[in-house]
Amino acid sequence: MAALWGAFIGVVISVGASAALFWGTHRLFALVERRWAIVAAVSGAIVGAAAGALLSGIRSGPESEPLLAGSQLVWILGGAAVGGLAGTVAGLRWPLSAARIGAVQSRLRALTFVGPAMLFVALGLIIPLLRTIYLSLFDKRGTDFRGLANYGEIFTNAQSLDLSGWSGIFGSQLFYGAVVLFALMAAIALYRGRRRGVRADFSPGTVGIGLGAGLLLSFAVFASLRGTVMNNLWWVVAVTFLSTALGLLAAVIADRVKRESLAKSLIFLPMAISFVGAGIIWRFMYIARPPQKNQTGLLNALWVWFGTLRPSSGGAWAAVAVLAAVTVLLTGLCAFGVRRRQTAIAVGSATAAIPLLWLIYRFVGPGVGGSVAGPNDEPIAGTILFVQESPYNNVWLMVVLIWIQTGFAMVILSAAIKAVPADLIEAARVDGADERQVFFQVTLPTIVPTITVVMTAMIVLVMKVFDIVRVMTNGNFGTQVIANEMWQRSFTEFNLGLGSALAVVLFLGVVPVMGLNIRRMQRGE
Amino acid sequence: MSSTVTRSDGAAPGAPRPGGRGRDPAGRGSDRLGAVIYRFLRSIPAWVLWLMVIIWSVPTGSLFLNSFRHRDDQRASGWWTSFTEGNWTLENYSDVLSSGQQTGGLWQALLNSFAIAIPATIIPIAIAALAAYAFAWIPFRGREWLFIGTVSLLALPNQVALLPLLQMFAGGAHWTIPGTETVLTLFPDFSLAGTATAVWLTHTAFALPFAIFLLHNYISTLPGELFEAARIDGADHFTIFWRIVVPLSVPALAAFAIFQFLWTWNDYLIALTMLGAAGENYPATIKIASMAGEFGLREHLLSAGAFVQAGVPMLVFFFLQRFFVRGLLAGSVKS
Repeated sequence: MAALWGAFIGVVISVGASAALFWGTHRLFALVERRWAIVAAVSGAIVGAAAGALLSGIRSGPESEPLLAGSQLVWILGGAAVGGLAGTVAGLRWPLSAARIGAVQSRLRALTFVGPAMLFVALGLIIPLLRTIYLSLFDKRGTDFRGLANYGEIFTNAQSLDLSGWSGIFGSQLFYGAVVLFALMAAIALYRGRRRGVRADFSPGTVGIGLGAGLLLSFAVFASLRGTVMNNLWWVVAVTFLSTALGLLAAVIADRVKRESLAKSLIFLPMAISFVGAGIIWRFMYIARPPQKNQTGLLNALWVWFGTLRPSSGGAWAAVAVLAAVTVLLTGLCAFGVRRRQTAIAVGSATAAIPLLWLIYRFVGPGVGGSVAGPNDEPIAGTILFVQESPYNNVWLMVVLIWIQTGFAMVILSAAIKAVPADLIEAARVDGADERQVFFQVTLPTIVPTITVVMTAMIVLVMKVFDIVRVMTNGNFGTQVIANEMWQRSFTEFNLGLGSALAVVLFLGVVPVMGLNIRRMQRGE
Repeated sequence: MSSTVTRSDGAAPGAPRPGGRGRDPAGRGSDRLGAVIYRFLRSIPAWVLWLMVIIWSVPTGSLFLNSFRHRDDQRASGWWTSFTEGNWTLENYSDVLSSGQQTGGLWQALLNSFAIAIPATIIPIAIAALAAYAFAWIPFRGREWLFIGTVSLLALPNQVALLPLLQMFAGGAHWTIPGTETVLTLFPDFSLAGTATAVWLTHTAFALPFAIFLLHNYISTLPGELFEAARIDGADHFTIFWRIVVPLSVPALAAFAIFQFLWTWNDYLIALTMLGAAGENYPATIKIASMAGEFGLREHLLSAGAFVQAGVPMLVFFFLQRFFVRGLLAGSVKS
């Protein structure tokens, strides 16, 4: 209970002291018109007390005694007396002209309102930021100047930036998937363009395919180029893009279903859970136990269960039958889309059929899920070490943050969708637009600024990801990120120089976002 | 949904688009089939959404179920078997709250969390409301750039200030005058490192840019005529702030308070840095994180512990979701 009492007393004292101070300055500044000398005296006393405090603390070296004799209290009181006297004399000597009273008063008033906040911002953010930049140029104890050597260490160290695996990009299935999708996008765009007499026509669906291809390509790149810096970039790209996309999807659908608020609440709920708690929650999902034992993590249990559906068993044939039926339905749908000239339906169902065909092949052939055939052709369970297997364990950690942030994106985008003026949509409907056209040509363009806001907020948050990585792997198994590296260097090794340099790298990462925000605010004002 | 169903009975969605090639629909039978197919296609998004809802709820739900299972059950089988076993217990919760070698000691940690989160919520609100009012309604030179400068710090990663702040709390801030050995003490050593005070002071500094931004957005939209009328009646800025602005801004103040409370309650980084080895002051997040780190005897208490830590924000979330959402929305959506 002591802690709570401490907090209570802290709140009472600080709020009470601030209120008293505030009221005092309020009364004081009301005197500017009539008793200028009193204001000058009190201001002088405050400045004098601060100067006295500063003087009494001067030392000839970090460890030595204060240079000036006398207790601190005496110096502060003395400074206040001298300053107050000087202020009184000055106030009486140079009375305030009537013209300047108003200006002085409003300046002082603004200062009392803004002062406390600015003091906190300066002491808690600006000065520490400058000091961090300063420390990043020094060695681990913060005494010997090293120039940019700490930054050089970050970007030449194989732990933090390892580009040697670049050739692996061209060997990965993700890369070929991306190439196929890019080709598909180009083909559709050219086909649509020929129909409309232009070189290439990009429909929203086509752009969507392109974005998916870009994401696959980025995964291929980040899985091959390794290191702390690359991991951090991977987090930023994957979490920002996927959370926004999933949030937009949920927001758009939720706008037109019954029980909208229930669905939205449940997707939004992870936002209330701490990153630490989320890490623990997902650790239970990812548990991998020895293959002979029962799996207690849901994902590995499902994986092993899929593995037991061997081609020889009846389960696999049942699965194949279901999959084949769905594939036939999709083929019919595709033909229907082609006949009605609805490219979205045709391409969508064809795309959905591809993974099903692949699954059928797996079921008939090598099998799906985690098991291998034993000596007597009986299935032996095989598990996925979600957290340990590099490089894709990074993705499984990102899933945790995507799980949290999708709700954030959904709530904001949902509000933006609802804020689209109804008459705009009505006008589009009157002009004969169907729902898809209304969304892509009215709603989406209107909410693009909000999407930008969501993505920039997300970039800032993901850039400094720390808690999830620390709780789930502590940077082991090739999952290190800059913020965790910074914490370890600074607070377990006390390498001030390198830790500060890593913090500055994080800061530089968000500088473009800060610039963007400033530009937006200047335009808004 | 009902509106879309009635619409699909009509000609609009099934028929070729007016701008298209205008081919004749194949025939009556095919048209009815088309309507059925379109209705089926229209129901797919709703299924996708509910599938998403299930996927999003399963992780939390499984943790919740696991927290009521005995240690041996948790180690032997997955939570989905508990529906048939029906072997529930509250032991994990009582163990994780009480303090001892083999238990969690989470009760003390919860109190510590309150001790950090309450001051870290109230104090920034008071300071930021004053500043937000001044930025919105008191004209002074340099107001605009000061405001933009402050709010742009919103994106500043906490990491850039942690090391100097910890040094300042641990030993004060000193400045050696260049070229001499003389040291000036800028911030005296109050030995704050390891105390809750250091944590909420840090939270206060980091919260101010967002708090000022959010409250300014709200306060600047209050009707100016109201202030004009009050000023004619002889009220000054202090009276206007206290008598008019604060009562009218209660929704924005509440929105920020809830947002900030959740943020500080769930914070791990700042508490971990500022508290160092002072284990008796650890908030719940650090406690459960260290339980997760040991992979040992207390593993079975982890789900209950995580749920106790998440319990407070979840309650806040369920009962005050409206305000929380308002806090998130501030500034990102122009309505």
